[in-house]
Amino acid sequence: MPSPLDLVDLPFLRDALFELVLLGVAGGVVGAWIVLRRLAFFSHAVGSAAFPGLVVADATGVSAAVAGLAVALGYAGGVRRASRAGREPGEATALLLAAALALGVVLASDVFESGAAVDRLLFGTLLGLDAEDLALSAAATGLAVAATLAFGRTWAAVAFDPDGTAALGVPAKLADFLLLALVAVAAVAAIPAVGALLVTAVYVLPAAAALLLADSVPGLIAWALALALAEGVAGLYLAYWLDVPAGPPVAVLGGAAFALVSVARGPARAGRRVRGPAPEAV
Amino acid sequence: MTRTADGAAIRADGLAAGYGGEPVLRDVSFTANRGQSVCVLGPNGGGKTTLFRVLIGELRAAAGRVEVAGRPAYVAQTERTRLDFPVTALDVALMGALARGRWWLPAGRTERAAAHAALERMGLDAVAGTRFGELSGGQRQRALLARALVQDAEVLLLDEPLAGVDPVSAALIGEVFGELRSEGRALLVSSHDVESARGFDLVLCLHGRQVCFGPPAAVLDRATLQATYGREMIVLEDGGPARAVTVQHHEHGGH
Repeated sequence: MPSPLDLVDLPFLRDALFELVLLGVAGGVVGAWIVLRRLAFFSHAVGSAAFPGLVVADATGVSAAVAGLAVALGYAGGVRRASRAGREPGEATALLLAAALALGVVLASDVFESGAAVDRLLFGTLLGLDAEDLALSAAATGLAVAATLAFGRTWAAVAFDPDGTAALGVPAKLADFLLLALVAVAAVAAIPAVGALLVTAVYVLPAAAALLLADSVPGLIAWALALALAEGVAGLYLAYWLDVPAGPPVAVLGGAAFALVSVARGPARAGRRVRGPAPEAV
Repeated sequence: MTRTADGAAIRADGLAAGYGGEPVLRDVSFTANRGQSVCVLGPNGGGKTTLFRVLIGELRAAAGRVEVAGRPAYVAQTERTRLDFPVTALDVALMGALARGRWWLPAGRTERAAAHAALERMGLDAVAGTRFGELSGGQRQRALLARALVQDAEVLLLDEPLAGVDPVSAALIGEVFGELRSEGRALLVSSHDVESARGFDLVLCLHGRQVCFGPPAAVLDRATLQATYGREMIVLEDGGPARAVTVQHHEHGGH
């Protein structure tokens, strides 16, 4: 068993640790809004939808962050437009997700012959995290904290009761659009470390467990942040020990923590009366 | 949505509204003045919620126009609120303070005092710190009303506020309705309870279009109620004024 101190002693692990700490903070803050606004499927889809952009970027030398962001933000806009055209939000998300993944696979296998890069894009890597990846994660984290300070009350009110909040005169639609954009940016920032298919390991699993523990929105953010940090750091150590990408162990730990919390809190809260409309923002 | 010119609280004139295709509500023309309460009757899909969505500005009128004094407070059906949400009754009441404009700042002392006062008025001061999902149905409805009180609106729109509410809550809500009217606020309240409509100043019957509008004594007759509800109503024949029981299911499809 390797020493946990390797995480700070070895330069490539130190970068990965720094990345996962940043993503832990973003995961706690953004994740709280994702579970409150019921955007779990959207957050998974927007990360996966960035896949074709990343394949093109990888093959052509374009900045992965720029290509991923362009596709993810375009995807978010497409889902929103499809929803406005009358499609059920989940249906619109699924339709565009399938199209984006199919395009990514065709590009990776037939156009650019991406080979090993596909695994890295889908499941993340400990090696090869560069300054641009860290900078994007730092920017996403800073954006998440700043946006939460400015829009937190509005986001909470909209997620709780969209119609009632619309009557309050707050810029609910603008706040919603910014939340979708923030989720898209956060998802793209997480892809280098945990992979396009596992961004929910950072953004949904810790917050979903936290929702079972918290009695207030600030409490939810605090619990989600603590769980995301703990799962990220422990997952990184497991990835180093088992010589696997970071995404899968972080996801397994997130799932295990959710199961443990569910059992510990009992059925009264784990199956908590999730009632009312599903106010997906998209 | 504009302020009314002549002091009326709500005015609709030839209003039609829908969701892209054919209007689901048409030919709605009525006026409610300050201090008046209006009960909106109609079957599911009759257009009650559509009318409310137009009045709060969420839905654009397909034809005609509406005017509302100020920005109305809206209390949606309690069963449409989320019970897994980590907020207390106080948090819910505080959401009403967002209407005061400073939505980007944390709630201040004045706003918290207003929220506490609203909860006290709704008899919820003892459960201010209780999670919303753990309140009874009647208490949840009162918490949502407390949010509307904090909003301090001249017009309140309430979508079936008494559905599934316990008698104690119903009595308290009725009492607050009376106080709000005496303060000069206008109330538009949708209901399935034909009998309770008799306690309002005015009744608006909708069935995809406006069937009738006027004082309860003039509106609540057998012919109007049958035009409003069709087969979803049984009229009780006991020699007195027309009494009716609606037999529809509660399927709130957004109309």
